[in-house]
Amino acid sequence: MSERLDDDVLVCRCEEVTVGEVREAIRMGARDLNGIKRRTRAGMGLCQGRTCEALLLQILRQEIPGITPEEAGFFTPRTPQRPVPFQVLGGGEI
Amino acid sequence: MKAHEIVVIGAGAIGTSVAYHLTKKGYDVALVDSGDLANGTSSHCDAAAMITDKQPGADAALGARSIKYFKELSSELEYDFEFRQNGSLYVCETELEMEVASDYIQKMQTEGYSVHMCDPKELSEREPYLVKDLPGGFWSDICCALNPYLLCYAFVEQGKKMGLTEYTYSPVTGIRLDEKGAVSEVETSKGSIKAKKVINCGGCWAPEIGKMVGVNIPIKPRKGTILVSEGSFPIAYQKVQEFGYMLNKFNYDVKRDVPPVVDEYNVSFTIEPTHANNLLVGSSRNFFGFGTDSEIEVVHAIATRAMRFYPILRDISCIRAYSGVRPFVEEHLPIISKVERVPGYYIAAGHEGDGISMAPITGRLITQIISGEEPELDVVPFSFSRYDQQTAYSS
Repeated sequence: MSERLDDDVLVCRCEEVTVGEVREAIRMGARDLNGIKRRTRAGMGLCQGRTCEALLLQILRQEIPGITPEEAGFFTPRTPQRPVPFQVLGGGEI
Repeated sequence: MKAHEIVVIGAGAIGTSVAYHLTKKGYDVALVDSGDLANGTSSHCDAAAMITDKQPGADAALGARSIKYFKELSSELEYDFEFRQNGSLYVCETELEMEVASDYIQKMQTEGYSVHMCDPKELSEREPYLVKDLPGGFWSDICCALNPYLLCYAFVEQGKKMGLTEYTYSPVTGIRLDEKGAVSEVETSKGSIKAKKVINCGGCWAPEIGKMVGVNIPIKPRKGTILVSEGSFPIAYQKVQEFGYMLNKFNYDVKRDVPPVVDEYNVSFTIEPTHANNLLVGSSRNFFGFGTDSEIEVVHAIATRAMRFYPILRDISCIRAYSGVRPFVEEHLPIISKVERVPGYYIAAGHEGDGISMAPITGRLITQIISGEEPELDVVPFSFSRYDQQTAYSS
């Protein structure tokens, strides 16, 4: 995944975020994955970033050459990891 | 070395508002944070500015004034922070709660706020999916919804157009005083900044910035957890809370009839629809230190409580839980004040769960204090001297 993606490519399908919007977030000051997430909503949808996280990291590395993995970070892992009905979270049966 | 008139430390809702309002007034301001903008509490909280979660008096006055300015800011700031004034509803579970609520609403009405009690029919009209066995509640059309971290971006983007300088990812490591004991320099990991004035907007982390000049700030982190639902059809139309939330927040001596786990984690029900059609469902209040993991027991308790009020949630999925720490002070009133014994040192912190809703008025009051104007509200209740004399607290 080293090719430079066009601005109109959809990078987060859940929240319909394009590569161009991610680049704009980085221009605005995002310096890590969570900063991109908050500025664009990429990774906030149903899949919680499973698809887009690696793509976002790729864009971040291209836009900020030399960024380290520590600086780029990762999406904060969030309970319950996959969509779970409130009934199950509340202790009921599926 | 870099030099600015004023350094604002902390880029959450309070710090970005303070930085914006000072810049707008014509000051040369630097905004400094250890990480990104809105990296702490302001991106780990709920998304409302309320009047009906404030106590009558100074608390409500701050909240009401802030909402007035939010309306102005929503057109003044070019960056959209998803502001909408859609009101909010409180619901009572028992006749006793109704009595306490009715007393509260009378006091708020006496102070001139647009709030009224609702019967079960009005509850049902406003919230069709709300459980039907509740005796009533109250409604206010003053309350607003907004996106807290977008608010921070909005303040900074607008501020930068007027000359605000932003130093993010630059942890403050020390504050130097001159021979007279006044602020002269802020040291960060990326270099020092000369400045004669510092505003500590560090929220939960304000005590650390206080220690740098020998000032003891009695703020403690109080943790809250919120669940996020999948995007759905409209289930809640405005922020809805159980009145137990208020009892909880203000330590009324009224015990709720709830499962032990709900009581243990201090959970009271709140729900709010977001701009993206998710629901934020909360919440808990606990002193668990600075950690922001969401404990499964707390998640369980919040889900249990939520289904009591919105049974339809049983079939709606939760996609994530998040937790944040709120800057708690004993008296529920923030510190918006200069520090008498350190010339040039100011504090705007300790808003607990009201930092978002009070951000605009806090920015204005600090600007008025610094520029020597008469503050638009009495700031005595928010002065730091109320704590600075209590040396006993330092333990």
